[in-house]
Parts: sequence; C-alpha cells; structure tokens
Amino acid sequence: MKITQREVGNAVILDLNGKLQGGADADTFREVFKSLVDQGKKNVIVNLEKVSWINSTGLGILISGYTSVRRAGGDLVVMRASDRIESILYVTKLNLLFKSYEAEDEALKAFSATASE
Amino acid sequence: MSDRAQEMILRIPSDFRYLGAVDAAVQDLAREFAFAPDAVNDMSTALIEACSNAIEHGNRYAKDKRVTVTLRFNGDAFTALVRDQGRGFDFEAALRQPHPPDPMSERGRGLLIMKAFTDSMRYTRSRDGLCCELIKRRSGDLEGQEWSAD
Repeated sequence: MKITQREVGNAVILDLNGKLQGGADADTFREVFKSLVDQGKKNVIVNLEKVSWINSTGLGILISGYTSVRRAGGDLVVMRASDRIESILYVTKLNLLFKSYEAEDEALKAFSATASE
Repeated sequence: MSDRAQEMILRIPSDFRYLGAVDAAVQDLAREFAFAPDAVNDMSTALIEACSNAIEHGNRYAKDKRVTVTLRFNGDAFTALVRDQGRGFDFEAALRQPHPPDPMSERGRGLLIMKAFTDSMRYTRSRDGLCCELIKRRSGDLEGQEWSAD
C-alpha cells in the first residue's frame, strides 16, 4: 500500500493507494502515525478512494491510528470510502467510531469546527 | 445456467501479498457466471478474511506452507473452500467471543465479516489442517444465515 501525505488547513490527509490488509502495511502505518503525533499533527483524514478493499487486519491498522491521534487530543476520520468498504465498517459497527465523509471539504469542516470550539 | 459448473483451485503462499490474487480470481470467475457485483464483492470480502485467517493463524506465515482455495460455481451458488496446512486456530473459542468486539480492539472481527457477507460459513478440522467453507447463493441476502463449526 502506498501512502501519500499532504496538509490542508489544520488537518493532514493521508491518501492511501492499494489494499489495506496488514502485514508490512501495519508497520508503515504505525510509523506514519508516530511521526505525525510527534510533530503535533493530530487531525487526520484517511482518504480511502483508491483502496480497493480492506480486511479485518486492515481495520486494526485504522483503529491503531485512531487510538494514536485520540490520545494526542486529535481525531481520525475517513473519506471517499467505497460502498464495499462502507459495508464492512457498518457490519463491524466501526461506522460508529470513524466519521465518514464523501467529500474532502466536508471532512475538513469537521476539523474546522473542532478548531473553533 | 443451472447445468453449468466450474471449479478453480488456487494455491497461494502464506503471505498477505497474495490476497489480491484471490480477489482477482473471484471477480473474474463470478463475472463469467453473471453473479451480481454486490454479491461478488461480499463473497470476496469474506474469502479474503478466510485466507487471512489461514495465513496468519493456520500456517503462521510459514514459507513452506500453502493456502489452497477452491472456488466452485454452479447455477445457484458460489462455494469457496479455504484449507491451510497448519494447526489452525481455536475457532470454537473464537466463535464464542463477542461480535463485534470492543470498538477499540484491533482484532477479532474476521469471523464476523465472514458470517455477515455470506449465506453460510462453516469450519471443519482434519488431520491436514483447517477447512473453511463459505457459500454465497445467487439470490442471497443478509437474512437467514447459517453459522456453524463442526
């Protein structure tokens, strides 16, 4: 899985490309989140547009990232998840944990609201 | 269509990198048999979980062990068998765990996903290892599922 990182406003967007399935991806993801939290970047949007599928180990990777930023006082949301991935989040009830947005500006607004509170 | 049947057998190394090949095979074969795209995705999602279990908990990533995936289509159903070569995992105990687990738990959702996205899921144990059987019926939905371990 390839991860591209970009900053927009007060959030970091991680554009994922490939399959979120554990293995080496887990180590890569943990390193990315450790680096972000170390830099004080705790508002993270995970762009799933180019993730073709995710397995339960991949869900664990997302939860690990969520835990990291929440401990630092931030949040993790997802955007542009396919119907296939949305249905997995729904079945596992992780839709209650991860806020999910269709558009990037909607996801960014979630953090804008946080910043103005 | 009902008199047609086709079987494909894949043997993949115990490495997550090969899960994509399983997904591709399911998509290709299902397209030939005109399964609805949503049903195909459901089956593939469940099958990827079964293979993930076989790689991680069954073969424990052993390089000399393979996961054998048998895909079988007939007119009404898509059946997948996933066999590992390891000691397997305690699926009876896993089935007793709460589903879904604690929301913050990073593990424990595989069986839930397999159950939710198929019409039938069953594990059997033999001398050679564990076998997981998944069935997705052509008209299947998320009602009336079977979920068992023999």
